[in-house]
Amino acid sequence: MFRRILIANRGEIALRVIRTAREMGIDTVAVYSEFDRKALHVRMAHRAVALGGNTPRESYLDMDKVIAAAKSSGSEAIHPGYGFLSENAVFAERVMQAGLKWIGPPPAAIRAMGDKITSRRHMRTAKVPVVPGLVDPVDDAKAAREAAREIGYPIALKAAAGGGGKGIRVVHAEKEMEGAFRTASGEALSSFGDGRLYMERYLDSPRHIEIQVLFDEHGNGVSLGERECSIQRRHQKLIEECPSVAITPQVRARMGEIAVQAGRAIGYQNAGTVEFLWSQGEFFFLEMNTRLQVEHPVTEMVYGLDLVREQIEIAAGKRLDAGMGKLQPRGWAIEVRINAEDPFNGFVPSTGTIRNLRAPGGPGVRLDAALYRGMEVGLNYDPMLAKLIVWAENRPMAIQRMIRALQELNVGGVRTSAPAALIVLEDQRFQRGEFDTHFLVGLDLSQPREGEDVIVAAAAGLFRHLAARRRALSSDNLARKAWSDRARSRTTSYPTPGSRGGTR
Amino acid sequence: MKYFVTVNGRTHEVQVRERLGELTVEVNGKPLDIAYEEVDNLGQVAVRCEGKSFGLSIEGDDHRLGAVIAGHLYAVEIEDERERAAHAAERTASKGGGMIKSIMPGVVVKLLAQVGQAVEKGQPLLILEAMKMQNEIVAPSDGTVQAIHVKERDAVGSGAKLLTLKGN
Repeated sequence: MFRRILIANRGEIALRVIRTAREMGIDTVAVYSEFDRKALHVRMAHRAVALGGNTPRESYLDMDKVIAAAKSSGSEAIHPGYGFLSENAVFAERVMQAGLKWIGPPPAAIRAMGDKITSRRHMRTAKVPVVPGLVDPVDDAKAAREAAREIGYPIALKAAAGGGGKGIRVVHAEKEMEGAFRTASGEALSSFGDGRLYMERYLDSPRHIEIQVLFDEHGNGVSLGERECSIQRRHQKLIEECPSVAITPQVRARMGEIAVQAGRAIGYQNAGTVEFLWSQGEFFFLEMNTRLQVEHPVTEMVYGLDLVREQIEIAAGKRLDAGMGKLQPRGWAIEVRINAEDPFNGFVPSTGTIRNLRAPGGPGVRLDAALYRGMEVGLNYDPMLAKLIVWAENRPMAIQRMIRALQELNVGGVRTSAPAALIVLEDQRFQRGEFDTHFLVGLDLSQPREGEDVIVAAAAGLFRHLAARRRALSSDNLARKAWSDRARSRTTSYPTPGSRGGTR
Repeated sequence: MKYFVTVNGRTHEVQVRERLGELTVEVNGKPLDIAYEEVDNLGQVAVRCEGKSFGLSIEGDDHRLGAVIAGHLYAVEIEDERERAAHAAERTASKGGGMIKSIMPGVVVKLLAQVGQAVEKGQPLLILEAMKMQNEIVAPSDGTVQAIHVKERDAVGSGAKLLTLKGN
């Protein structure tokens, strides 16, 4: 086993990896940008190496700096987390060339799945079902309009080199194509440096179902059930569950087989996720994420294992346990992403300093977060602040437990997605399991809810009244203190240990 | 002191009186038995009111704030009598046009309108990029673009002035 590993990431996922590594007796090395020098992942690691810079490009995306940090700190392996360099085949290669172990899939497997077009070609060869669409990307709106006549509306436009919901637009009619192509292509160009778009049929009432897979270096592969991630907006997930109400044990077994087949076809190793679109009993391959997913904890809760531990052990050469493939789901887990965004204002990003913080607790509640009082939420990094996860014996109990946990949670200083998640969880249709990937977009968040309006009005009045009174009292105080301080500093010297003291 | 507090679109009159250090509260003319204690000066408040207890979170400034009770967010606007009169006068003057401000920090990617151009409600005026997402900022009403306060590639903060629209 490794003695020391470096985590090439920040935020909650860096902390997530550090937590497991500490439990395994492995020394952890954090890296950090100038902006993150006080971050929790830095404080919780055994060692920390500064990368300098503030933007991702100057820090967490700088391969030279990250590899140099691993060498100088005596690390034996690098865990990339998710995002940043996690799905970068060049980085994985360079890590290996530097004599370090890469806690992730082989570079060739990353490449095979990194490009949506290449991955679809591989999957067609491996007899994995894919969504009707174009094999080649288009690079202008005119070509897109022509291709659309063949595929049929509605059509999804996706960045050829995309991910994370960036550069994705749905087009319902030909007249929308021009504008949608312009914004999607612009986003793709600024995010990935490639403005080409991939086109495919947009499926009716689809559910986003994904299968967790694990492969070791010795040719063994297992699937670990599904995750339902249909509560999403602009392809950014908000609520995830394991298992899914839509999936029967038979379908689960079938999807698991196909996911393992997909991984095997590209020589996959380590943890990965095969995403499917599920529509009316059919399912189609969407893409494979060649890394640990954000929502991996729901699988951990229901299958009773630690996926980060499995990742580290696989990278160290361990064989998968023979019993791993026979694991059965137990109970129900739900995850809610707490993002810094304002759900009542079109989910626009929200920035600020976290001051007011109240964390939930109690039975079956897990909070994966790198939040702390005084944390600044800026625009340089992903808006996800925390993941709240609950486990219970069944789905209704898990929903009630999540509602309870969200009622306990307060993250102040920024607006968060938490109130929107609560509205979804309280919705009868969600509770009955009747939803698809359009559910969140279709939810009317503008309607005021019946609630404690009078109490809130009274409390708001008191808040302003007391704040005004405090200001009136303290400003008086400060003015007086400033006068006396100034007078004192003129007449008194305060020698510091290094100085000789005395007035000059 | 009398405040006009708008919660979820409904305005309540909140009268706060202070006598010998004791605060009494009336909402819409009815006295309310409420105990309000700030826990940590960071936003946590203990509220007890007519037998019920609440772990409130409240933050914002004198005019706009967010209150959270049991996970649900209430968007609140507060005016005192003087501010209420001033705002009413302002609203009648601008006729639905006025200043369009950025609701988020970001970068102006593209301007889609020019000064003097007539625009329809819902027409895109500019594209703002924030957290790598491009968002179209649209005209809130029919009108004419009177002034543009930003250039392409400008970084703007939340609340920054983008355009001035003159209502028809």
